[in-house]
Amino acid sequence: MEDTPGVNEQKESSRMKVFLVMAGMAMAILAAVLAFSKVDSAYAIDQTGCLSCHSNYKMTKANGQGQQVSLYVAEEALQASAHRYIDCTTCHTTKPHEVPTPLTKLSLAQKCGSCHDYQFQVHRESVHGQQLLRGNLDVATCVDCHSPTGNPHSVIRVLEAQAPAYKKNQAQTCGKCHGNEELMSRYGIVEKVYESYMRSFHGKATRLGSSDLSKLDKASCINCHGTHDIKSVSDPVARVAGLENLARTCESCHPGAGMEFAKGFPGHEEASPKHLPAVYYVGRFFVWLTAGVLAFGAMMVTLELTRLIPINIKVKPRKKARPREK
Amino acid sequence: MAVAAKAKSQPIQGTIVGDQVVRFDAHQRAQHIIMLSSFLVLALTGLPLKYADLGVSQWWIGFWGGIENTRLFHRLFAAVMAADCVYHAVYVVYSTRVLKRPFPYWMIPSVKDVRDMLGDMLYFFRIREARPKFDRFNYKEKFDYWAIFWGMPVMGGTGLVLTFPVVAARLLPGWIVPLSLEVHSDEALLAVGWILLVHWFFALRSLLSRPVFPLNSAMFSGTVPLERYRHEHPLEYERIVEQAKGEQP
Repeated sequence: MEDTPGVNEQKESSRMKVFLVMAGMAMAILAAVLAFSKVDSAYAIDQTGCLSCHSNYKMTKANGQGQQVSLYVAEEALQASAHRYIDCTTCHTTKPHEVPTPLTKLSLAQKCGSCHDYQFQVHRESVHGQQLLRGNLDVATCVDCHSPTGNPHSVIRVLEAQAPAYKKNQAQTCGKCHGNEELMSRYGIVEKVYESYMRSFHGKATRLGSSDLSKLDKASCINCHGTHDIKSVSDPVARVAGLENLARTCESCHPGAGMEFAKGFPGHEEASPKHLPAVYYVGRFFVWLTAGVLAFGAMMVTLELTRLIPINIKVKPRKKARPREK
Repeated sequence: MAVAAKAKSQPIQGTIVGDQVVRFDAHQRAQHIIMLSSFLVLALTGLPLKYADLGVSQWWIGFWGGIENTRLFHRLFAAVMAADCVYHAVYVVYSTRVLKRPFPYWMIPSVKDVRDMLGDMLYFFRIREARPKFDRFNYKEKFDYWAIFWGMPVMGGTGLVLTFPVVAARLLPGWIVPLSLEVHSDEALLAVGWILLVHWFFALRSLLSRPVFPLNSAMFSGTVPLERYRHEHPLEYERIVEQAKGEQP
């Protein structure tokens, strides 16, 4: 019976069917796995195998003062990092376990400077860098602007859209400190720089503009204040100090702007009777004009409604009808 | 010549055609259509900038592919609106000088408009029982017309300053740039507010008053039924009916 060709054929075809179904399912599962798994070809180079221990979030050690210091390196952050193809030992030396940790703000900046020397030197001359040398730990150093978490392992390239130093994110990044009223009051910076920038045309254009790299030609903080070389506004060499410098800064985007153009620039300060009085008073006039005209309009509409609605509701004309033309 | 002849054969404002009164000729209707469409585009591409921090503004600008594109449309339709104003001015000169039509004296604000407004107030507050008798254009319609003569130079002038800030700061004091930004944005809000609240209300009020198409369509069709005209513009109605009687004895 087994050798009957008809039965055999039947068996063969049913086996074939099972195989096809299994293969189909396997393909579907594989496709699903591929679709739902995070496929990231960018794996950090870890030639020395540091992550085999340091990817453990429980890993700590006691430092000189007896405090517990985390030695954990977040792998996910590392994969998105600009430095994922650089081996740990580049920054941590070939004898990482002998380096005193944790690094200070200054020694961390110096560490970045061992490759990015030019930027480090320029930063050292900036208001941030000068304060850092005096031991002020409030200041922004490399990782404060280049890493979303302030963690040196997750520095993101400036041209990537999620980078804190990407054009569209710059105001927010500076705002982390410069939008902090309490912190700013310590340095006599009273203007709400973040809010006023966002209210300005530059801020709105940046916020509403396309993320396209070629369309990031709007001014953000850095276009007027500089990047690594940011100087205090009270420093006469600052790009925004004095009309002459300011005019030159305006001209870097608005060719031929000149002093008069710079004079009209309100900066971060709102118009007031002292600052750009013409803008302030005309602005006030328009607020009252708008309110007055719209109030007049609303009154006319409301009054007209009081006469219109009852007439419509009225089904039968009353005996003593009003002498209104119909 | 052919154009002039054709224009001459068009129904003139304030004449009776069938059971309708001609209120606007083809040019006036075209001017209105151009004005309203450019106004809508300008409002829709400009307001999100005024309220840039709202999510809906960001969504809307993103929908257009960023501010670069909405800005292009804003400037394009600003030019259309300016051209419409030129069209209107040319039209007024052409119709009075070439077609020898009467000068539109009925658009000139007069003491009667002030009296009509006060009379309307008395009517609304039920002190007077009858509404003032309006001529071809009542005081509200004149206000709407002349408001453009204020709005256009303000919006156009400040808009030009914002488009060419460097040139503006060379010719005028520097504060003209932030001033223009302030004025352009305030006046825009005033214009949009007025259109939404008042202009549309009076265009749609026939919805509340009598069973006609839910819009005062005169601005689009150009004509108003005689019966409605008697009601809304009694002074002119009486005059044209008298005139019609005199013409066909």
